[in-house]
Amino acid sequence: MMKKEVGSVTPEERDEIQSLFERRNGLNELAKILTADNGELYERLVKDMGETSSKFQNWWNCMGEKYQWESADNGNWEIDFDSCVIYLVTPE
Amino acid sequence: MLKYLIIPLSCNAVSFCHYDSHANTNDFISVDTLKKAIFWAMKENLSVQFVYPACDVPADILAAIDTVDHIDIVPSDMSDAELRAQADIVVFDDWNDIDRYEFSDGKAYVVRTSLAAFIDNVQTVKSVLPKLDRLNVVLTDIPGMSDVQIDSYKESLDSLIPAVAAEYLAGHPVQLNILSDRMVLDGMNNCNAGDESITLAPDGNFYICPAFSDMQENTVGNLQTGLDVRNPQLYKLTHAPICRICDAYQCKRCVWLNKQLTREVNIPSREQCVLAHVERNASKKLLEELRKMAPGYLEDKKIEEVGYLDPFEKLIQTQ
Amino acid sequence: MSEPLLKKIKDGWQSGVAKNITFIVTKDCQLACKYCYLVGKNGHERMSWETAKRAVDYILSNENEFPEESVIWDFIGGEPLLEIDLIDRICDYIKAEMYRLNHHWFNSYRFSFTTNGINYHNQNVQHFVNKNKNHLSFAITIDGTKKKHDLNRIWASKDGIERGSYDDVVKNIPLWLSQFPNSGTKVTISSEDIPYIKESVLHLYSLGIREVNINVVFENVWKQGDDDLFEEQLLSLADAIIDNELYKDNACSFFNDQIGKPLNLEGDNRNWCGAGRMLAIDASGNFYPCNRFTQFSLRSKSAITVGSIDTGINHNLLRPFLALDRTTQSPQKCIDCEVASGCAWCQGENYDAADTDTIYQRSTAICKMHKARVRANNYYWNKLFRKLELEERLKEYRESHPQTDTKPC
Repeated sequence: MMKKEVGSVTPEERDEIQSLFERRNGLNELAKILTADNGELYERLVKDMGETSSKFQNWWNCMGEKYQWESADNGNWEIDFDSCVIYLVTPE
Repeated sequence: MLKYLIIPLSCNAVSFCHYDSHANTNDFISVDTLKKAIFWAMKENLSVQFVYPACDVPADILAAIDTVDHIDIVPSDMSDAELRAQADIVVFDDWNDIDRYEFSDGKAYVVRTSLAAFIDNVQTVKSVLPKLDRLNVVLTDIPGMSDVQIDSYKESLDSLIPAVAAEYLAGHPVQLNILSDRMVLDGMNNCNAGDESITLAPDGNFYICPAFSDMQENTVGNLQTGLDVRNPQLYKLTHAPICRICDAYQCKRCVWLNKQLTREVNIPSREQCVLAHVERNASKKLLEELRKMAPGYLEDKKIEEVGYLDPFEKLIQTQ
Repeated sequence: MSEPLLKKIKDGWQSGVAKNITFIVTKDCQLACKYCYLVGKNGHERMSWETAKRAVDYILSNENEFPEESVIWDFIGGEPLLEIDLIDRICDYIKAEMYRLNHHWFNSYRFSFTTNGINYHNQNVQHFVNKNKNHLSFAITIDGTKKKHDLNRIWASKDGIERGSYDDVVKNIPLWLSQFPNSGTKVTISSEDIPYIKESVLHLYSLGIREVNINVVFENVWKQGDDDLFEEQLLSLADAIIDNELYKDNACSFFNDQIGKPLNLEGDNRNWCGAGRMLAIDASGNFYPCNRFTQFSLRSKSAITVGSIDTGINHNLLRPFLALDRTTQSPQKCIDCEVASGCAWCQGENYDAADTDTIYQRSTAICKMHKARVRANNYYWNKLFRKLELEERLKEYRESHPQTDTKPC
């Protein structure tokens, strides 16, 4: 994998994506233990996973648009939560 | 610096503070121990305060007491009327008969009371204010006091303001500790047990104050080996992180209550802090009321408006 | 330290904004480490599911009492992985309840473990790891070389024969590092361990453990000459790290350019220890300001509880912990000390060693060890900055670390 620094975001923007990232991970791990037998909670989870994924993708779309980071067809962006730096990651 | 030695003369000497008197037995201090304690106090340059039980005190003890200048603290129901009349501080353990008591000028009177009883007896307080120079109200049920109870306390103090102000206006500046003390103070004026005072119990051991003397494990030395207060700095204001940023100067800062409720002698409970601030704020109102009637009254004194009742909140915010 | 050439010890996850909630799930352990502060370990005090559930219910249903942004659910023992099935059930319940209650911690939590590592490869443990991987922090304790590790970390046995645990732990290190590549380990140094410090740190680096958090015990175990020996070891370790450029990819907490300065009490008079800001729960459902205040952690004092699952938190009992600061508990010699920064303390040990039943008397048993560490640090940073030609940093370091007499008080 190649990792190239292509830009950065503000700490506030970092906080937004970090919170969504944490929530998405939480929902994914909750999905491993909740089943349809849990009824209402399960339905809420499924809906929430969809919504959180959309918000997550929207953040990247929005920030990509705002900052015009370098991109690649076979690559994806990554963020370092400590430094707010954005990397473009591509296969070698 | 140590200034006072308190000597309860018997195991059931009257409580003049938050704690309840410990024993029903009237085991008196031995004359030998008493004489040694007086001798020790003189060598240490301490003022001595004797605390009496209600029953008669043996003559040889009274004779020993007479060998030193001292303060007498006696119960209001003391059988020896002559001693009671001569005492410096008289303690009431309830509100019975207080309004029929024959008060004397220049003395301090202490009433130990639950909060509920105090609230029930606000009229009694008003009725005795013209008759005495100083009344100390000591609450005996502070642990676990709820915010609702403390609100009631605030209302009672507020209702006493006009009565106290009227006495001042009439040229009788009566002192009611919970209302008027803060008004005249510029710095902490607390109990200071363990720092300025120490207690020699009838068993011959030293304790931080009479409240601690119910358990021998609380001893801080004895007359043979001397006073041995471990971690003495913790009894000083400098080592009380909440109190040293506080301006409820009239607060007792009771180290016994501290130990009971927070486990640390230098850390007050929320109840003690909030009660002290309710008193502080009532004192501010009293001062403002007096200034309305007598502009410029105590003009060098200022009690600031603060946005908390518990200085612990202030401490946490600054950390 | 901002130089990209140097690896530094990372702050813990959400350091300073996370509430640490510790479940003492068992007081049992396979090992009987000689330096272990847990003096009352036993096999019968195990947390029941009902107790754990009630603790979780209390904590999550009183959100206003726990306003911290994030939470670390910490599981300790004894050896926590002896109770992996219970822990798995607790964690599942926590996740589901945080979500059901819309609790703010659902977006910011971790499950944290400090383990002796012996059971790390077990199927149930691995199942748990895979299920919760994005929210886990695992620290396996390995003390260094086989010789050093086995000196203290021995199996509990009834026959009196000492058997070290190194081989049982080291076999799990590759698996652990493959799952948590950035993990560090925690090394504890007691008097007998001092001669092995250098070789142990280097050994841990060679195992692939890049962060070595190492500290001397706070208890008064230090013998005459230990500080000199300690300094000698650190100086030798400093040479090895710098000469072999190990500082690029590895970090050892003994070397920190912020220690050994005079105090700035106006800027920072905070308590060193987090006791009271965390919450520990034992098998009986009692709450403690930290696990060091449980009875099985104390030699000579009674436990300090701050409530229970039945009564909730007693905030009056928490006040002394939250009001603690550096100056109120320190003797004057520590306040005046010119190399005081970085000199640590443990509130539990302070309490245990105090002359009265107070947490307000700081133990100074590590004074001479701290000063030895300061001397070694001065050497390390002088040598390293010079090697890296960081002249400004060297100047800054020297100015902020005045030359002082670092003899023990």
